[in-house]
Amino acid sequence: MLKKAKPGHWRYLALAPLLLLLNGCAKHSAWWIFNPQGVGAKASYDYMMIDVVVMLSIVGITALLIVWFMWKYHKGKNRGSYDGKWEHSNKLEVAFWGIPIAAVAFLSWAVAVHGSFAVNPYNPTVITQHMKPKGDPIDIDVIATDWQWLFIYPQFHNMAVANELVVPAHTPVFFKLTSTAVTTDFFVPQLVGMIDVMPGMRTKDALESSHLGTYQGIAADYCGAGMSWMLFKTHVVSMADFQHWAKGVESSPNTMDYAQFNRFAEPYINVHNKTPVYGHVEKGLFNHLLLEVMNGKKWPLPMFMTENMFHYLKLQAAEHRA
Amino acid sequence: MLVNLPGPWSPLLGRLALSEIPYTNPILAPLFVIIVLAGIALVVGITYYGKWGYLWKEWFTTVDHKKLGIMYIILGLIMLFRGFIDGLMMRTQQMLAVGSGHNGMPLMGAIHGYLAPFHFGQIYSAHGLIMILLAATPLLVGIMNIIVPLQIGARDMAYPYLNALGLWITAAAVFLIMISLFVGDFSHNGWFGYAPIFELAYSPGVGVDYWIWTLELVALGTTLGSINFLATVVKMRAPGVTWTRLPVFTWTAVSANIIALTSFPCLQVALALVGADRYLGTHFFTAGFGGNLMLYTNLFWLWGHPEVYFVILPAFGMISEVIPTFSEKPIFGYITMVLASFAIAGVSWIVWLHHFFTMGMGPYVSTEFSVATMLVGIPTGVKVFNWTFTMYRGRLTFSSAMIWSIGALFLLLIGGLTGMMLSIPAINYMVHNSVFVVAHFHMMLLCIVYAVFSAIIFWFPKVFGFKLNEAWGKIMFWLFSAGTFLVFFPMFMLGFMGETRRLDWPFNLQWAPWFDIQEVGIAVYVLSVLAFLWLIYVSIRDRAENRVGADAWGTSRSLEWITDSPVPFYNFAMVPHVNHRDEAAWRREHGFSDKRPEKFAAIHMPNNTPVAIVIGALTFVIGFGLTWRIWWLTVAALVLTVLVMIYRSGKGDPGYIITAEEMEKMDRESRQKMDDGHAPLPKGGGYTGGTVTAYSAEVGDPGSQSTPPGNSRPLS
Repeated sequence: MLKKAKPGHWRYLALAPLLLLLNGCAKHSAWWIFNPQGVGAKASYDYMMIDVVVMLSIVGITALLIVWFMWKYHKGKNRGSYDGKWEHSNKLEVAFWGIPIAAVAFLSWAVAVHGSFAVNPYNPTVITQHMKPKGDPIDIDVIATDWQWLFIYPQFHNMAVANELVVPAHTPVFFKLTSTAVTTDFFVPQLVGMIDVMPGMRTKDALESSHLGTYQGIAADYCGAGMSWMLFKTHVVSMADFQHWAKGVESSPNTMDYAQFNRFAEPYINVHNKTPVYGHVEKGLFNHLLLEVMNGKKWPLPMFMTENMFHYLKLQAAEHRA
Repeated sequence: MLVNLPGPWSPLLGRLALSEIPYTNPILAPLFVIIVLAGIALVVGITYYGKWGYLWKEWFTTVDHKKLGIMYIILGLIMLFRGFIDGLMMRTQQMLAVGSGHNGMPLMGAIHGYLAPFHFGQIYSAHGLIMILLAATPLLVGIMNIIVPLQIGARDMAYPYLNALGLWITAAAVFLIMISLFVGDFSHNGWFGYAPIFELAYSPGVGVDYWIWTLELVALGTTLGSINFLATVVKMRAPGVTWTRLPVFTWTAVSANIIALTSFPCLQVALALVGADRYLGTHFFTAGFGGNLMLYTNLFWLWGHPEVYFVILPAFGMISEVIPTFSEKPIFGYITMVLASFAIAGVSWIVWLHHFFTMGMGPYVSTEFSVATMLVGIPTGVKVFNWTFTMYRGRLTFSSAMIWSIGALFLLLIGGLTGMMLSIPAINYMVHNSVFVVAHFHMMLLCIVYAVFSAIIFWFPKVFGFKLNEAWGKIMFWLFSAGTFLVFFPMFMLGFMGETRRLDWPFNLQWAPWFDIQEVGIAVYVLSVLAFLWLIYVSIRDRAENRVGADAWGTSRSLEWITDSPVPFYNFAMVPHVNHRDEAAWRREHGFSDKRPEKFAAIHMPNNTPVAIVIGALTFVIGFGLTWRIWWLTVAALVLTVLVMIYRSGKGDPGYIITAEEMEKMDRESRQKMDDGHAPLPKGGGYTGGTVTAYSAEVGDPGSQSTPPGNSRPLS
């Protein structure tokens, strides 16, 4: 039972160093951080490259110097001259302080300051500055429970979908995020960076992508036993497809009021990767939840709930939530 | 009860019940049996050889800073091993669990791999807490404990009893976290804890309580230690040890302990508030009722980041001692090195928000903390350049201590490169909470581990009188380095592939090859652990051949190398008079290496005391009682602690006197022991004329062959 169902993956090992190059421009590359498909993720990637080039030049030269000195001043090899008193040089010390100061000054201005505004989750200028005057951004309310995601589309009859996110391409999407019980992180590696999702608090994030496809979304911060299964696929689809999909969801007879939401928010590990849709959720559910949590609403965890996952799965099935 | 406990509670046993002992767990139950058997064997062995009296007199009640340091280091090494086993279990879990389909072990209740999330969470939480606070911290405190008094020419720490108290409280923390393996469970919320998941509603077990009281105890022990270090360096310096003659290691110890003294109380307050939430039902960090969960994160990292520099600065100090010794040169840019240490210590206070850039604090605040974080790179860069140029124009000997230090430099370079990436919010959003961060801080912490192994090899002969085996030290280095590369290069790659931290079930099959490489790395690490044990065995076996004199390496530099090896309990027969920053090198150069005190004076030494170990044991009971909410036990232990403290305060310690005659005899014996079977030390050449002051009693003593004060300044 320890045997994995992945025959012969050892042969990939030889290719490991090449993967970086081979997958360099593939959309479904395994190197999610190096293959940004969203505007924000792309900006972050560009800043990363600037930073790495600057720092690698200093770090690389230092490493080479260390290796060179190790070779040259190896005792007994007589490659370099020995000076056991040499312990100070004003010129060198100025350089030693000057080089890092210059590097930090440059990176502060070029990357830290610019980058903080460019991909500021609350108002990322890389998205907001290039918004078409008539393009309607999409708003999505995100609620993280223990351990599911609920995405509510207020502009589309308050329809909602759990554990799956669908957004139109070429359209800015603005998120409001909160959580029922504990803190986690909203993260779609190829599209948008992380933002904390906290109970009783509202954070914001924004996403825009012009690359159709399906990307993995992750709950990136530890939020309890079900975290590993708290995944959501993010589909970037054309506007037409999005409209079509929204029509389908809106017409779903499945609805959710606050009482039903209360039940939805009970601890549930999404082992079976369910993605239920709701044609309509109660208006203002997001704000209602915020207020309830601020007033002390909790969804306590049963003791030792995940000590035995098989036992948990049986309970889940018995509750008809499997 | 002020809070609603989920589960039973009784006045006698609190939350403790037989069902809390995981005797059905197929990993823990055999482990428990092994540990109990090993414990019985140990007790029987000690009794058989009649060593209880020796242990009690020489170790358990000692206030000797060297013995306490050795015990700190043993404690740290044991916990380093425990933490490593946790790491091994995590790597194995991810390797087995990766990919879709149910590949788990029903016996362990896991549907993926062999660990259910409940267990996996405890393992990585314990791993982090143990490695930082119960492995790295004791190892560094232990080495500082041994070396700092020797480097400043003191007979002991300023407060020897406080020193012992710090050790035994730290040991109590170790016992508390170890007992959580077999009684109850441990926190699964990460080593730093998340609000509000550590609240009673979301962590109903005792795990978080174990976590709180372990941290509180170790914080208490470390705070006491930091007071002691600062008082020692300020007040106990031998004549001639001016501030500009303090070795760099002692300077880093000073800067690190300023950080510890000022930051650990912040942790204690934060955890006390968590405790109030869990025990009294307050709402400091809850989501509702006006609590602020972000406040906890701020308070924790307000300590947490200075703590990071508390552990890295002494490591920098160790590298700064090892590289000059094996380059046969003074450290390059001494003043700069000291300034850089304090710059790092100062900046450490204004960077804590970079641990949660993703909390949405807005671009202005983010930028401020981003730039402040990058500032740390400046003094750190300066240090690396200075070490590099210490080697320039040197005569490098690649002894095992030296290669561990150079290894630490390379890890620091990688850690620095990735740290500068993480300090920038725009980049941080993409890799925060990913294994890229994990790989980054392991580079930094392994830099510390490399420096610690370097320091252990470097100072071992000073403490025990014989060198560790060079060949096995190098074999261990290469195995450890291969393990480091195989585990953490894949981890950086997985970070770029978007793997986030703490996944009990890594869902992406594309990550699988890298997990397998990591597992190979772990196997290599296991070999390095075996190499370390063999290194210790071989070195003890061959100790007669590896005996050393005062100057163990022949090229040593600072004051500790002028006294005998092993260091006698009084450290220096006569308090030395220090003429130079690199006193040992200076004496060697001027033909004073073999100069012994000619006159002796009576000295005053502190008595051993059992009070420290008793208070240590009582703090463990307090921690255990609080964890399980056994109120009578907690109160009883608390009252006893106070009574013992009152007893000790009333009694005091007059210490005892060693007369001049006894000192002379002991000094002769110590010297004979050291010189037995040992070749004469290499001497530096050249100095012929004049005399200098070597021991403080000679200053202004007309009876001795002392010289005018003008001659006692450094001649180099």
